[in-house]
Amino acid sequence: MPESLLYGTEVVLNGLMAGVLYALVALGFVLIYKASGIFNYAQGVMALFAALTLVGIMEGQIPFAHLINAALGTEIHHFGWHVPALLAILLTMAIMVLLAWAVQKFVFRHLVNQEPIILFMATIGLAYFLEGFGDLMWGSDIKKLDVGLPQGGSFWIEENTQWLGMGNENFYGFFLDRLDLVATVIAAILVVALVLFSQYTKQGRAMRAVADDHQAALSVGISLNFIWVMVWSVAGFVALVAGIMWGAKSGVQFSLSLIALKALPVLMLGGFTSIPGAIVGGLIIGVGEKLFEFTIGPLVGGATENWFAYVLALIFLVFRPQGLFGEKIIERV
Amino acid sequence: MNDMSNDSYVTDDGRTIGPTVMEMKNITLRFGGVKAITDISFDIREGEIRAIIGPNGAGKSSMLNVISGFYVPQEGEVWYKGAKRPPMRPYQVAQQGIARTFQNIALFEGMSVLDNVMTGRLRQMNSGLFAQAIWKGKAEKEEVENRAFVEKIIDFLEIQSIRKTPVGRLPYGLKKRVELARALAAEPSILLLDEPMAGMNVEEKEDMSRFILDMNDEFGTTIALIEHDMGVVMDLSDRVVVMDYGKKIGDGTPDDVRNNQAVIDAYLGVAHD
Amino acid sequence: MFRKKLTHSLKQAPLEVEESFRRFWLAPAGFREEDNLAQSSQATGGLSSIPALLQRNATQYATKDAYREKEFGIWQTWTWADTEKEIEALALGLINLGVQEGDFIAVIGRNRPYFYWSMVAAQSVGAVPVPVYNDSASEEMEYILGHCGAKYAIVEDQEQVDKIIDIQDSLKQFEHMIYIDPRGLRKYDHHQLHEYSHIQAQGRAARDEWITDLEARRGKLTYDSICVMLYTSGTTGKPKGVVLSNRNVIESAKNSSEFDNLGAGEEILAYLPMAWVGDFIFSIGQAYWTGFCVNCPESAETMMTDLREIGPTYYFAPPRVFETQLTNVMIRMEDAGKLKRRMFLHFMEHAKKVGGDILDGKPVSFMDRLKYKIGDFLVYGPLKDTLGFGRVRVGYTAGEAIGPEIFEFYRSLGINLKQLYGQTEATVFITAQPDGEVRADTVGVPSPDVEIKIGDNGEIYYRSPGVFVEYFNNPESTASTKDAEGWVATGDAGFFEEGSGHLRIIDRAKDVGKMADGSMFAPKYVENKLKFYPDILEAVLFGNGKDNCVAFINIDLTAVGNWAERNNIPYASYQELAGHPQVLQSIQGHVEKVNESVAVDPMLAGCQIHRFLVLHKELDADDGEMTRTRKVRRAIVADKFKDLVDALYGGASAVSTETEVTYEDGRKGSISATLTLCDARVVPVASKVAAE
Repeated sequence: MPESLLYGTEVVLNGLMAGVLYALVALGFVLIYKASGIFNYAQGVMALFAALTLVGIMEGQIPFAHLINAALGTEIHHFGWHVPALLAILLTMAIMVLLAWAVQKFVFRHLVNQEPIILFMATIGLAYFLEGFGDLMWGSDIKKLDVGLPQGGSFWIEENTQWLGMGNENFYGFFLDRLDLVATVIAAILVVALVLFSQYTKQGRAMRAVADDHQAALSVGISLNFIWVMVWSVAGFVALVAGIMWGAKSGVQFSLSLIALKALPVLMLGGFTSIPGAIVGGLIIGVGEKLFEFTIGPLVGGATENWFAYVLALIFLVFRPQGLFGEKIIERV
Repeated sequence: MNDMSNDSYVTDDGRTIGPTVMEMKNITLRFGGVKAITDISFDIREGEIRAIIGPNGAGKSSMLNVISGFYVPQEGEVWYKGAKRPPMRPYQVAQQGIARTFQNIALFEGMSVLDNVMTGRLRQMNSGLFAQAIWKGKAEKEEVENRAFVEKIIDFLEIQSIRKTPVGRLPYGLKKRVELARALAAEPSILLLDEPMAGMNVEEKEDMSRFILDMNDEFGTTIALIEHDMGVVMDLSDRVVVMDYGKKIGDGTPDDVRNNQAVIDAYLGVAHD
Repeated sequence: MFRKKLTHSLKQAPLEVEESFRRFWLAPAGFREEDNLAQSSQATGGLSSIPALLQRNATQYATKDAYREKEFGIWQTWTWADTEKEIEALALGLINLGVQEGDFIAVIGRNRPYFYWSMVAAQSVGAVPVPVYNDSASEEMEYILGHCGAKYAIVEDQEQVDKIIDIQDSLKQFEHMIYIDPRGLRKYDHHQLHEYSHIQAQGRAARDEWITDLEARRGKLTYDSICVMLYTSGTTGKPKGVVLSNRNVIESAKNSSEFDNLGAGEEILAYLPMAWVGDFIFSIGQAYWTGFCVNCPESAETMMTDLREIGPTYYFAPPRVFETQLTNVMIRMEDAGKLKRRMFLHFMEHAKKVGGDILDGKPVSFMDRLKYKIGDFLVYGPLKDTLGFGRVRVGYTAGEAIGPEIFEFYRSLGINLKQLYGQTEATVFITAQPDGEVRADTVGVPSPDVEIKIGDNGEIYYRSPGVFVEYFNNPESTASTKDAEGWVATGDAGFFEEGSGHLRIIDRAKDVGKMADGSMFAPKYVENKLKFYPDILEAVLFGNGKDNCVAFINIDLTAVGNWAERNNIPYASYQELAGHPQVLQSIQGHVEKVNESVAVDPMLAGCQIHRFLVLHKELDADDGEMTRTRKVRRAIVADKFKDLVDALYGGASAVSTETEVTYEDGRKGSISATLTLCDARVVPVASKVAAE
């Protein structure tokens, strides 16, 4: 294989893996938007909050330590134990469910039948609250998250793909990050599980029913509150997974919440209401931005990854506003 | 008029009407200062077709919403299966076995007809999420049984040809039928129909009447319906409640009601004082 | 072209006389041509009745699927062994109920295994099955049941039970009714009413008592026993009962199965009316002869979906069905994305060029073949699967002319669609197209064992082992249709093409009239040209004995409605759309194009349409304007809309009219409308100009 094709392939593979992560975040948006018509601006912060909580629990951090210390003049920070990763993940999940319940109980229950813009503003409020609350609870310093996921390049892949270079001395085999590989597998499993859940289980059917028509859902005996708490919990779970992946990759810090912004173009591409759309959209953006950077980037001075996704989304908005998989809205006479 | 006895009896056409399954006692419903329903009492007996009729704005729909839990009355009691019903949310009422349709049709437009009707069976699905996840034992059996029941309803209402069609693409008359199928799939103790014939042409009305009668006959479904088309109601129902301006002005068999002076006045528009 | 003669007599002969006539006199002496075929009777190996074929299949194909029906969303299956048991139980039940040999049993319902079993069970006990169109009006049913003196009826559901109860008083001989679907019937008086499954259960319970009787009755069936009686839906007058013997049915089934190499592996979808001879031959004659599987749709509305799921290998449809499907494909392509549409058009263009030749096995260049293969993968294959034709090996159409473009469309996709020409009186087959000799404008060569001659007036006559026994209780009609030598007049005019030896049909012999100037008036010829336009559903041409021609047109609501929707033209009804100026304008364009093509042939140039109108209602069988098989009843239309015809000839530019319509439930109403009368451009004909 010629050199450029080899590198191109590697770029595409890396792009696909980045894309899976984008898709994961976008999925959180889609779930909530479908079920309740709320565009959840706080999805990114939820990922941050989940990651912070996970690190806090694992490290045995005392929640609200700053507050306690300031109020009581003490100097406590840690319980002094370490919680195993798996248990910590389960505990974090429990907290995310609690959060979902609280969000429903204290915020959205009171906003039933409000305009979408009001609901959107409420999620902005929620985002800022959650960000501050997370800081207060776990502190604002950058943390390292290590749940035991493999890190660094995969030598196995490198060694076993070297032959593709066919004697090309500059080619050492494909370089793929092991964390990315794991993330891809996990995300893929998660996506399949979510699709199966929504298509084939009683709860999934109820969720789709609520997404479609509230009144009809009530009349067949579905509790809207229950479904909304469930949806927020599932979104919380997706946020946790996304938080773990990004956190393990680049540390748990405020910028993690900005991955939500990467999800926006994905949604515009894939449509706000489509689960497959979120996946395909994520992959297109992931591959597109890496490939663009690889091919055009050097000509325009690089750093195209910062804006490529948004420009692509903008072009899409012009030609296909409903996204690739979104429902076309036609006003019939 | 309001027969409170709980003895079963057999109608002229050979159907058995059982004891009272639901009783409304002195229901009053207000929106702010406006009284939508004033002190209304009536009962619904097992296996009968019970109609609530009245001119527009008589409070029929409000009454149906009280029964189905969408409105909570300020005064009065709802008795269901021999027990007083505490204030409930609509989904809890539905879980108790009271299914309904809506005048303006409330369906899951994005889902197929089959999926829509399947949601009517949610009440009958009890297996846990885990059992569903591994698709074994109870969950599998349950899904198969529910699907079989739903197919029976689909056959009954003659909507086989649109089984896989998204509901949003169907014409109005068929949507009404799908909504009925979904309500029927719940095997309700009481089926509430909110103006089942509204907006239909003569042929569709006849079809719908046939379905309502057959449903009652074949499944023994207790039906309470609201309608303002007097003619249709009189042919269908065993007993009729007549409302006007939120008050009950008549209650009895179609013949009783037809000869009731207050009812005649209400329909002919005699001035109220 | 399953047409019947129009002459008709109502003279009733007592049943017993009729019976003896048939058994002791007619069979030995009257059927000389059939005596000559005694050898082929031997060839069937003693399989001289449908029940005998059933017995053979139950042994030979015991575990092979014989019937399928979709019910509750699942395909239920019966093997030939199951089928034999089902039919035996029913036959025993019928004996138990009191059915005698020679009794007539009406069978009324949509295509379901139960009804096919009912017909064979009736034959097994020596009775005669009489399938009746299940959407017949009460009067029609009353006439048929009274005419054949049916004592029993096997019907589908409450709707039919009600219909027969309504007419029961006038049917003195009528005894018992059996229904299949019990819904809504529980409270009915069950003295003379029985549920199908109960009759079967009683039959099973009384097996010991009746089995010898059943075997004896079955044993008495011969090649000349009546197999079935089918009433023809005459275009005018009362229906006539065409009596077909086992010889007619089995010989026709055998010959036609061999003609197309039909085997036990075929799958067919039974969806055409059971009272129509075609369905009887396909779903009983050929199915029992070859042992193939008959699939019944879930309901009439699900037919297209069921067709896709079954994927029949042998398929028949009238041109109208192919037309509708093509229209739907075109509509979907209009709505499809640009890329998809361009790909479709591109490959369809290629298919048009080489598809037919590839199907006929003619030489085609390698590159064209390769491109066709790619097209098959991308377009033709998926399209065929969507239409349910993915596995069709032999497809037939008949009944009326099919548009050449429609015909070519299906053939170019690689579907072996052919034409045949047949009649009830011929037990279907008169001519058929052999593989590789298929054209849109002929109906093929004489079917095996069929002789054809053309009369002086151009009328087609045939003689074959399939020629019917008689019209029941109607010797006059029988005599005027079938002569002493066994030649049957078809009522159609046609000729054999030089060279190919294929038969071409011009029109009905009696419909080919003369214009005032003596030139030929061939309405069907012109109407068919009009109907080939997708937005024209039906056309009726008038002009016999007049100076020029005028026409009525029915637009196709699906096609025109879709066009209206795409162009944001709101409409509430057929009537509104039919009167829309843009619609009229486009129809006028079609009419003028047809005029140009009609003018090419000097013989027919007089048939050009001078004026036309678009009717305010769709012609409908319920209103008597069409037959149940959807053929226009010309005389009735001319009479009913006389005011409109007069207005067209009168030269006015608009006319108001009021028309009575019948709703599905039998109630009557009326619609009134003001119609625009349009002038169409005609091509001047040289000879005519000279004459003036």
